[in-house]
Parts: sequence; C-alpha cells; structure tokens
Amino acid sequence: MKLFFREQMSLIFIYFLQLFLILLVYWLDGYRNMAVSGYAAILSICLLTGYLIYRYIRNKGFYQRLANPLTSIDGLANDSQGAGSPLAEGLQQLLKAQYSHYKKGLHTYKYRLEDHIQFINQWVHQMKTPVSVIHLMIQEEDEPKFKAIGDEVDRLKKGLEMVLYSARLETFDRDFYVETLHLESTVRSVTSSQKRLFIRKRIFPSILIDVHSTIVSDEKWLSFVLTQLITNAVRYTVKENRKVYFRGYKRGKNSILEIQDEGVGIPASDISRVFDPYFTGENGRNFQESTGMGLYLARQICEKLGHQIEIESKVDHGTTVRIIF
Amino acid sequence: MFKIFIIEDDKQLVRLLEDHLDKFDFDVKTVDNFETVGSQFEQYEPHLVLLDVNLPKYDGYYWCRQIRNLSTCPILFISAREGKMDQVMALENGGDDYITKPFDFEIVIAKINSHLRRAYGSYAASQNSRTITVGGLKLDVERMILTFNDENIELSHTEAKILDELMKKSERVVSRDRLLEKIWDDQAFVDDNTLNVYITRVRRKLATLHISNALQTIRGKGYRFISNWGHDE
Repeated sequence: MKLFFREQMSLIFIYFLQLFLILLVYWLDGYRNMAVSGYAAILSICLLTGYLIYRYIRNKGFYQRLANPLTSIDGLANDSQGAGSPLAEGLQQLLKAQYSHYKKGLHTYKYRLEDHIQFINQWVHQMKTPVSVIHLMIQEEDEPKFKAIGDEVDRLKKGLEMVLYSARLETFDRDFYVETLHLESTVRSVTSSQKRLFIRKRIFPSILIDVHSTIVSDEKWLSFVLTQLITNAVRYTVKENRKVYFRGYKRGKNSILEIQDEGVGIPASDISRVFDPYFTGENGRNFQESTGMGLYLARQICEKLGHQIEIESKVDHGTTVRIIF
Repeated sequence: MFKIFIIEDDKQLVRLLEDHLDKFDFDVKTVDNFETVGSQFEQYEPHLVLLDVNLPKYDGYYWCRQIRNLSTCPILFISAREGKMDQVMALENGGDDYITKPFDFEIVIAKINSHLRRAYGSYAASQNSRTITVGGLKLDVERMILTFNDENIELSHTEAKILDELMKKSERVVSRDRLLEKIWDDQAFVDDNTLNVYITRVRRKLATLHISNALQTIRGKGYRFISNWGHDE
C-alpha cells in the first residue's frame, strides 16, 4: 500500500498542479463561477481516485511481492501471481531469465567442484600405492635412517588421509553410515593404528572405558576424528613416559568420550579459536607441522555426525577434549 | 606348495610381495598382461589370488567375477580404497577378504594362511608353521615352543613375539621401539617398564634351557641376540 502510494505520488502531484493550472487559466480569463469549477474539480478527482483504486486492485499482488522480503532464491521465479500489468509481467520475465542463468552458473560450479573432489579422491588413492611400497620396503629394517623414513611416511599417510577426508566432507550426506559401535573397541583400534606414534614419543594410552558402553556414530569418520585428537595429544606432550587417558562415561542421557593428555596445554588467548580453520596459535609456532586443520575438521565432522566437541586446557598441565555423543 | 596369483599393476609392490611370499615358501606368479588375466589364471591354477581393485583395462571387481566362473579359490582384495562401500562391493563380487593399503606384510601373510587353512584344510597350517633356528635353538612361532638340545619350553604369546623378532635379526641390534611396536597388542598396551619385565622373563626362560647371556642389552639402543653358547657345550 505504502509502496503503491509512493509510486503514484508524482502522478497525483502532477494531476493537482494541472487542475490548479486549468482553473487558474479560466479564472484569469474572467470566468468566476466557483461552483461549476468546484464541481468539475470534484468530478475529476473522483475519476482519478477510481483509476487509482482500479490500478491498486489489479497490481495488488505485484506490490505485495515487492514489499515482502525474499526468503529464498527459489521463490523468485516460481511465484506467478501479480503479473497483472505489462510492467509486472516484464519484471517477471526478467527475473525468470536471471534465475535460470543463475541456476546454470551454479550447476557449472557444482559439477566442477564434484569433478575436483573426484580428482582428489583418485589422486590420493593413487598416491597410496607408492606410500605402501615405501612402507613395505622399510618394514624389515631397523636402522635409525629407516626409522626416520618411516616417520616421514607416517606423516605422508596422515596428510593424504586429511586431504581425502576434507574433500569428502563436501559430499558428507552421501558418505556416512551410522551404526551402533562399541566405544572401547573403536578407541582401541584407533590407538593401535597409531602405535608407532605413541612408541616413538614414549607416550602410552590408558583406556578407561566400560567394555559394554555403546555409541551411535559412523566408524570411519569417528576414527578419523579420534586420530586427529590423538595426534594432537601426542604431539603436544613433550615429556616422556606420560599417558594419554581415554575415559568414557555418561552425563545425563549422553555418552561422553574424554581424551586427556599431559602435554603443554593451550594458552587461554588461543583456546577460543582452536576450531578455526588454519589457526595454529602459539603452540603451532613452537611445534612444527601444525596445519591448523585437525581440530577444524574434527569439529566439522562432529557437527555433521550430530556430536558435540568441547575443549578445555591449562597451560603446562594438559588438554582435555570431550566428544559428546 | 601353495600357488599364489598376484594381480596388481604396481611393479614395486608386486616385487615386494613376491619376495616376501617367497620367504614363506609360496609359489608366486604375477600378471604382466592385464588383458588376459582370465587365461593366465586358468593356466596357473593358483590356490589363492591377491587382487587389486584399480587395474588397467578392467577393474578388480570384473576379474573377480571372471575368476569366480572358473574357480572357488580364496580371493583377497588389496586396495587403497578404505570406504565401506568398496569393501562391500569387493565381497559382493565374490571376494573373500579385503586388505587396505598401506598394509603390513604380517597381515597379508596371516590372512593368506587363514584363508588357505579354511579352503584347503588344516594340513595347510602344519605346512606353514614357521620356525626360526639360531645355532641349534629352535623357535616354533605358531606353537610358541622353544627347543634346545631336545628340551622344550613353552612361551607366552608376547615372549614368542619378542624372541621371534630378536632371533630373526640375531647378531644385530633390535631397538626398543621396534620391540614395543611388535608386542603392542590391542588388548594390553606395553610401556617401557612392561617391556623390561618381558625381557627378564625371556632371559629366565632361556636360562632354564641353559642359555645365558644370549640376550644382551645395548644401552641406549636396544637388545641383541647372540648365539654364544656353541663353545659352552
């Protein structure tokens, strides 16, 4: 309504100016019969009002659409009401064309992104073969040099894994399978797969989880998250013969997995940002090989799985990460 | 002797697998022409197949189906794809097991042995029972029995693993890290102290066979197993 009046304002203004001008011309000409003039003016105004009302009714839908904010991009073209006047129809056509162009562009990018993910998947899998060849070649060797190569291979493996999982995150909805898992055995299998890391740093896991406690999650993604957390816990523990504690307990209805290390901890100024992508913070600068992606991915994945993740830390005492299922 | 057919296109990986399987007394044949895998299989008539998924020409699933038309021998997939769907696909197409890259030799050997046992009866186990002998001291890895001068002694699982590793590399230093890695078990984690305890136990068992000082500690490095008992007898 407001919009309609704002648009018709100039018309109304011109109309009154015109009316005044005509009456003025007649008046100056010597025609002084005010009653007839007034009658003509009222008649004319009635006509204008009638016209305005007619226009308003016809274009009511159109104005309403313009006045209401758009909720989603899909609503733009589907709405066919309010195409009363040529102007509204023209706008509708324009929007439709714009919308289809936009959709097309979006599709192109979507396909390109999918191609890219496909490529990365392919590439990572191809890289895994050379990695496994190196892995096998050095397996029987026990010299310091080969150990160093082994460590580097482990890093390569982790890097590849991270690439794979962050690429897959985009197509998460097609790539997960939720089932009931035994928390204890899941944690055990992840810690075992990281045994080299533990041994190398002389840090040992201590698993304090009830054998029967179960959770509902996706094994593959959860294992990836746990691997990230374990890598962090071990990396930021400097002193030897420390432990990483895995505790499982219930808080209300939720199962909780707590991973506690005895490492260097995270400064209070950094802790609010540890889940941000590429954030490495003070520890990241002091310790090499931080990517800033581990915790970010962990949180992204937890969110998608419907788990919560929280972190708590005290400098020089250690860090505790909790996953709430 | 069991015949194993490896269908994998990475030459290095094939060579490593071949060498290793050779050590375990398997007869190994590999594929060089990936268009005639089917006929090569028929010619060789293997007892077990190791099959990669990503192959030139046709993929592993295809060859698995082809082989299934010819034989019911165990087929183990070896693939870089660790997704659930890939594993399901492999098993649905007639595979018997699935190993993801990168893998350990031990796992491959264990899976091969387990499938051979299942497919061809228990005589497979006795044939492949692995023993290591150092200067008359014999370790039966699978039965966990240590024999010296007709005296037998039983070992625990972990003790056998430690001795296996040390005797395999006798006269050479084996690092603590490596031993820890070997005896790391899904059930119980071993830390430094536990390893010390196990080493003591192994020494005691060796002593009951009248072998002393064979297991030496090399400070800061690890342990070394030497057959120094020869002249004692």
